[in-house]
Amino acid sequence: MWNGAVTIGALTVPVKVFTATQSHTVHFRELHASDGAPIEHRRVSSKSGREVSADKIVKGYETSPGHWVVLSDDEIRAVEQPRRKAIEIEHFVPADQVDPVHYDRAYYLGVGAGGRDAYATLAAAMQRTGRVGVGRVVLRSREQLVALRARDGVLRMSTMRFADELVAVDELEIEEPRRAPTPAEVEMARKLVDGLAGKWEPGKLHDSYQERLLGYLRARAKGKQPDLPEADEPDEETDDLLAALKASVAA
Amino acid sequence: MARSLWSGSVSFGLVNVPVALYSAARDLDVHFHQLHEPTKARIEVRRVCSKENKEVDWEDIAHGWDADDGCVMVTDDELAALEPRRTRTIDIERFVALADIDPMHFDHPYFLVPAGGEGAARAYALLAKVMERSGRVAIGRFVLRTKEYLVALRVREGAIALSTMLFADEIRSPGALGAAQPDVKKDKPTKRHVDQAVALIEELSTDFDASAYEDRHRKRLEALVKRKRKGEEIEAPAEPETPEPVSDLMASLRESLKAARSGTLVG
Repeated sequence: MWNGAVTIGALTVPVKVFTATQSHTVHFRELHASDGAPIEHRRVSSKSGREVSADKIVKGYETSPGHWVVLSDDEIRAVEQPRRKAIEIEHFVPADQVDPVHYDRAYYLGVGAGGRDAYATLAAAMQRTGRVGVGRVVLRSREQLVALRARDGVLRMSTMRFADELVAVDELEIEEPRRAPTPAEVEMARKLVDGLAGKWEPGKLHDSYQERLLGYLRARAKGKQPDLPEADEPDEETDDLLAALKASVAA
Repeated sequence: MARSLWSGSVSFGLVNVPVALYSAARDLDVHFHQLHEPTKARIEVRRVCSKENKEVDWEDIAHGWDADDGCVMVTDDELAALEPRRTRTIDIERFVALADIDPMHFDHPYFLVPAGGEGAARAYALLAKVMERSGRVAIGRFVLRTKEYLVALRVREGAIALSTMLFADEIRSPGALGAAQPDVKKDKPTKRHVDQAVALIEELSTDFDASAYEDRHRKRLEALVKRKRKGEEIEAPAEPETPEPVSDLMASLRESLKAARSGTLVG
């Protein structure tokens, strides 16, 4: 989707950027329930209620209620004027210091033209040091902070959330218990955690709702009307923490 | 404190911890609105039936799924009936090591906050304490609106943090890179080059400090709006160049290392 290079000073590693994720969410179109006709989205003026053609639509920033600064796409694009298409690495940091909350969208970096040697060298060196490269790149007219990681000889890039885009714990109101958990409760809960310890096996975890939804839609497409499941009663809640822990460990 | 997005409970064995869910990320982007150019009136999107040419209310909209031979129409009620029953609980299935999870799986971050008095606060404190001690991440599932999510719960700054996780089939394999996929066997780098690259990485090494990086894009957009307000002309930008590959890898590694040592590499 993007051809450029990772640059570290004079070192240039030609790369191609590929999206690393894909959505399997079942996609629906909007239909009018009474006649099944497709729904169209029409852009209308909020003042006149009349439809507006695309060439009469501009982007505006509201400086105060009712006051707009109008900007063209070219002007918005002018905000980012990179000299070159480069992922400019500024620092290398220990991988375990970057909390995953910082990672946003994931990409793979493929080898760009004439870059096999430089790519393999950078990937091997990053793997040896266990470090993550932090840098900046302009993607889709927006400068992004990115993290570069190497794994199995493949460079991966994640866009990163800025520190002020993350909510800090002290912005939340977390009620402290008047009575701290007792040693017996902590011990019982520890047993429960140990009992549920396992491996991270993402390949075994499926989106069962999407699968059920697809099964239902396929049956409907064949003209069947499958039964819909009935809602279950929610579990009863218990106030006795220790009794619930004991029962869980025994189960 | 912002509005909670969901409330329910974390179910962990037979213990239920009543919680409320809050986003741990906020949108600070500069947003633009669509305007009708001559009148500066806001643009609204209206949903119109293509057959009757009349506006349609939200409750009269159904969902169409394109099958191989035609479209299947389903209603909100049918979709709601297909939702799993676990809609008020986050069911913890197992506890795993954080280091085993590829960071690519982490999607949106949230925080869980105890909701429901002393009982909830105690159960929450207990779960946070044993999770922090074990150093493990709880993997579970829950349904938010109509989507089932795989989630990871762990302790951050003393609170229980939740991340939605991508399922394995939502992450492509590096094989999707095709001809651009690196060939680990064939593209063996020389030790000399790797040593030099390691020296460069070490020269640029520092501790991670998230607050050291500011969103310059946001600042520039805000500055652009100010300039435009004063009536300044803004020129369209030139297309960026694609950097050329280096002809001598060793020479560029040495040059970069020298620049890094003298502190002139970035900026």
